[in-house]
Amino acid sequence: MLKIENLQVAVGDNDNEVLNGLDLEVPTGEVHAIMGPNGSGKSTLAHVLAGRPGYRICAGSVTLDGRDLLSLEPEERAHEGLFLGFQYPVEIPGVNNVYLLKAALNAQRKHKGLPEVDAFEFLTLVREKLQLMRIDESFLSRGVNEGFSGGEKKRNEILQMLVLEPRLAILDETDSGLDIDALKVVAGGINTLRSPERSIVLVTHYQRLLEHVVPDRVHVLVRGRIAKSGDRTLALELERRGYDWVTEEAAVPPAAAGAARAKGSSSGTGRAV
Amino acid sequence: MSTVSSRIADDFAAAEQYLPASVLSTERRRSALQALQAQGLPTSREENWKYVNLRPLEKVRFAPLAARTGKAITVADLPPQLLGYARYTFVDGVFAPELSSAVDRPGVLIEPMRRTSQPRPAVGGLEARQSGDLRFALLNDAFATDGASIRIAAEIDCPACVELVFVAATDSREAASYPRVDLAVASGARVGLIERHVSIGNDANFVNCAVSISAARASFVQHYRIQQTGARAQWYDTLSADLAESARYQLFSVHLGALTARSTVNIQLNGERAEVDLYAVSVGDARQVHDTYARIEHIAPRTRTSQSFRGISSGRARVAFNGKVTVSAGAYGTDSRQSLRGLLAGTEAEIDVRPQLEIYTDDVRCSHGATAGKLDDDMLFYLLSRGLERETAQRLLKWAFLEDVVAKIEVPELRRQIEQSLAGQLKEAAALQELL
Repeated sequence: MLKIENLQVAVGDNDNEVLNGLDLEVPTGEVHAIMGPNGSGKSTLAHVLAGRPGYRICAGSVTLDGRDLLSLEPEERAHEGLFLGFQYPVEIPGVNNVYLLKAALNAQRKHKGLPEVDAFEFLTLVREKLQLMRIDESFLSRGVNEGFSGGEKKRNEILQMLVLEPRLAILDETDSGLDIDALKVVAGGINTLRSPERSIVLVTHYQRLLEHVVPDRVHVLVRGRIAKSGDRTLALELERRGYDWVTEEAAVPPAAAGAARAKGSSSGTGRAV
Repeated sequence: MSTVSSRIADDFAAAEQYLPASVLSTERRRSALQALQAQGLPTSREENWKYVNLRPLEKVRFAPLAARTGKAITVADLPPQLLGYARYTFVDGVFAPELSSAVDRPGVLIEPMRRTSQPRPAVGGLEARQSGDLRFALLNDAFATDGASIRIAAEIDCPACVELVFVAATDSREAASYPRVDLAVASGARVGLIERHVSIGNDANFVNCAVSISAARASFVQHYRIQQTGARAQWYDTLSADLAESARYQLFSVHLGALTARSTVNIQLNGERAEVDLYAVSVGDARQVHDTYARIEHIAPRTRTSQSFRGISSGRARVAFNGKVTVSAGAYGTDSRQSLRGLLAGTEAEIDVRPQLEIYTDDVRCSHGATAGKLDDDMLFYLLSRGLERETAQRLLKWAFLEDVVAKIEVPELRRQIEQSLAGQLKEAAALQELL
């Protein structure tokens, strides 16, 4: 599904690379978690995948089912089935939620050569997903994320994801700022989307979400590259031991850096073993 | 004397004999003209007049028509009528009974000025209570042809009350049009007034409107003004309002039309606890210039005002809003907020938003925010990431930008009409259909 090779990314005109030769492969049907300390490049990765402007791709490639993702506009990536769940969902007063949902769904359908969604079917679909996310129907007529609490914004992101049914969902710290009940609702939403045709990447600080959405693979991002990969037990180990030991393991002498990267790309990918 | 000033004097001399004394006496017209000649018309060198191109005034014939000529106008040429509102239509400033439909309501007296002999103030600053830039109002005083005189008696509740339609139908080389409104609201009364300015035909109209509002103790005035004159029109306007104790005035001003539209608003809060909310929307395209200068004076204690402006400028248009708030020495406990936002939607377009505060007392709460810029990148990316086409996303954000203020319009049918017009002005009528 998603294949990232030697991705090197800088922000704006800054020469320091935030992503520094990142390799990652997420096979179809799997859920992968990307963890890591603050500033390790997790959110940058999520943004770059979705096509946010302001980043400079210095090297590397990203493909979605073999198709070059980096040459596509953000909206084209969405049409290809990529969905980014925002860490900080944007408030857009004056554009109401239900309009956005419908416009987004119809944009995808148009891309697939399908007619616009029937108004009745659409409402039935949205109502069902609203219930699942425990969002009151009155939210639909409100401005996008306008005046929503942190938790409501995150649930709204998942609601959009459920309506759009992406092939690849990148969820950027969707668990942050959620109380335990909201976390369960959000996790439940994500789990309903798990399927053999779909891949999900969970970007997160904490192990907490992974108790409810059990990942197939866990990767640790340190200084812009995958420093360690493992199964779900790696997340538990990180919870217990913190990130320092991975950071130390990743700290290799400059002379050995090239060799370490080559090595890292074989052992550090997300390929299911 | 400048070319324009001498032209005005000549046109006045020629027209004086047919200007109706029932609207304003010859004496008052002459003194208005004298005052105007003494002050001179504004020039582009003045700070508060630098956005408007005053040049075309040199080619205007300032006299109104002696009598309405040829063009037959029917109800179908006018905006759809709003249910419940009494409609009074004026063509080139003169009452047109065949295009009007009076509604009888006790305590509500609406009369064309020509037909009444009750004493009426001049708008242009002859009364001591008025201040501000009244030069174009003086011009209206000199040439006034007719207008709507509205009296609301004490404690009368008339939220859906009067709609005034001012139609400009003559080219400025031929004659000028002088709409005029005088609204007096007695204590405890509530009134909803809609004021529209439109053109029929594609002439380069010259319109110079003067409005005077007086709101007595604890009255409430909701005033909607929609300027949709033709693409070649020059539209000038002076609005003066003064508020007594606990009076409340809401002004919604929407500018869509005209080649040049300049509105000068002078509001005085003379009574304690008086309140004013000014909502203004302006959408300019091509070579349009929209300029609003709003001067609000807090004179009495514990008065409150808010100003919200949203302007979009496309093409080579220039959209300006200058909001000046003064707080007098005695106006302690004043609360004043300004939120002025402009959106640039073209590389050659211009937006000027300017909040100004002059405070002569302590114990006030004044805040102002002014922004002028392009569409918000974060919002745009959010919509794109959901698969919306770039054009659709941009269109939607422009709409949302205005909707913030447009949503404050409390007359649903009027709001719908305005939204339709806005979508048309943004050249997105079909695309935004679903939102309307």
